[in-house]
Amino acid sequence: MKSIYREFLVATLVLISTLAYGADMDHAGIVKSLEGEVTIARNDQTIKAEPNLRLLEGDVVQTGPNGKAGLILEDDTVISMGFNSKIAIKSFMFQPNEKKLSLIASVFHGTISFISGQIAKLAPKQSLIETPYATIGSRGTHILIQVD
Amino acid sequence: MNSIARIALLFLLLALISGCAKKTLVALVPDPDGKTGSISVESAGGSVTIDTSYQATTLGDAKTQPSAPVQMAKETLDTIFKEALSVQPKQPLHFLLYFRQDTTLTPESAKLLPNIIATIQERNSNDISVIGHTDTLGSKEYNTTLSKDRASAVKKQLIKQGAEATAIRTTSHGKENPLIPTADNVSEPRNRRVEVVVR
Repeated sequence: MKSIYREFLVATLVLISTLAYGADMDHAGIVKSLEGEVTIARNDQTIKAEPNLRLLEGDVVQTGPNGKAGLILEDDTVISMGFNSKIAIKSFMFQPNEKKLSLIASVFHGTISFISGQIAKLAPKQSLIETPYATIGSRGTHILIQVD
Repeated sequence: MNSIARIALLFLLLALISGCAKKTLVALVPDPDGKTGSISVESAGGSVTIDTSYQATTLGDAKTQPSAPVQMAKETLDTIFKEALSVQPKQPLHFLLYFRQDTTLTPESAKLLPNIIATIQERNSNDISVIGHTDTLGSKEYNTTLSKDRASAVKKQLIKQGAEATAIRTTSHGKENPLIPTADNVSEPRNRRVEVVVR
């Protein structure tokens, strides 16, 4: 009986630490500024964006015909989006202590301003912006991207 | 009937062209601190490097090489990206705090705490990172524990001075993200720090 309790306790602790760890691992950044209609597609859900909304790896951010959004990622990357723009945070890992560094952003369409952060400095090869026709690699810089 | 079919075909073609063409423009502009970095733009047809401000490359499809860099007027880019640039958030602010031997802040660093609180309020920030860093002297385990303890101490201080506990995340970058790059096993006081990032 005692051991069952102990197993239950261990399982609960493992679950709690996994959840806490998992939530932290997924965190990619925030929506800092926005105007008009901005939505986040996460898994199969569509979330209406609000200032300070937390972004996770895998999120797809889309602005409407009168929508604009400014995002700040955990590594200081600053992304801003004009009208009718759509991007995805395909991969985001910022854990220098574990040497896990990766940022892959996808631009589907619209007008995007991208100021790279620490991942581009620490691991330039793991910092990429994908567009429908080309992939952009950068080293600590400010890039403007328009995809019709 | 024939002409209707022809018009329909024309519309279909137009829809196809406008729907498929993802004409792409990639431009390099100065960083917020005034420096210019460099980018490479690579398609299946080849790649192009840009390292001069206000130069851009264009692509009409994935198979052709991106165009050679062309100089663009700053005003033209400002116009195309007007909406995006109008909501560009301020760069995150970084504060560096230093310690005595233990987890007590130096008097100079303790004086910075009210500035950090003021910045949090001014930016209405709910995303604050408190990151422990160490120099490369000593074992990874020792440095990770020490930098975590120091980050926790700073978090406590910030909460005491009015910051929201839920807005603060503490992490440790150990010796992997130094301010002053050094070889391994080098004592460098400037790398023994806690960094507070206000977004």
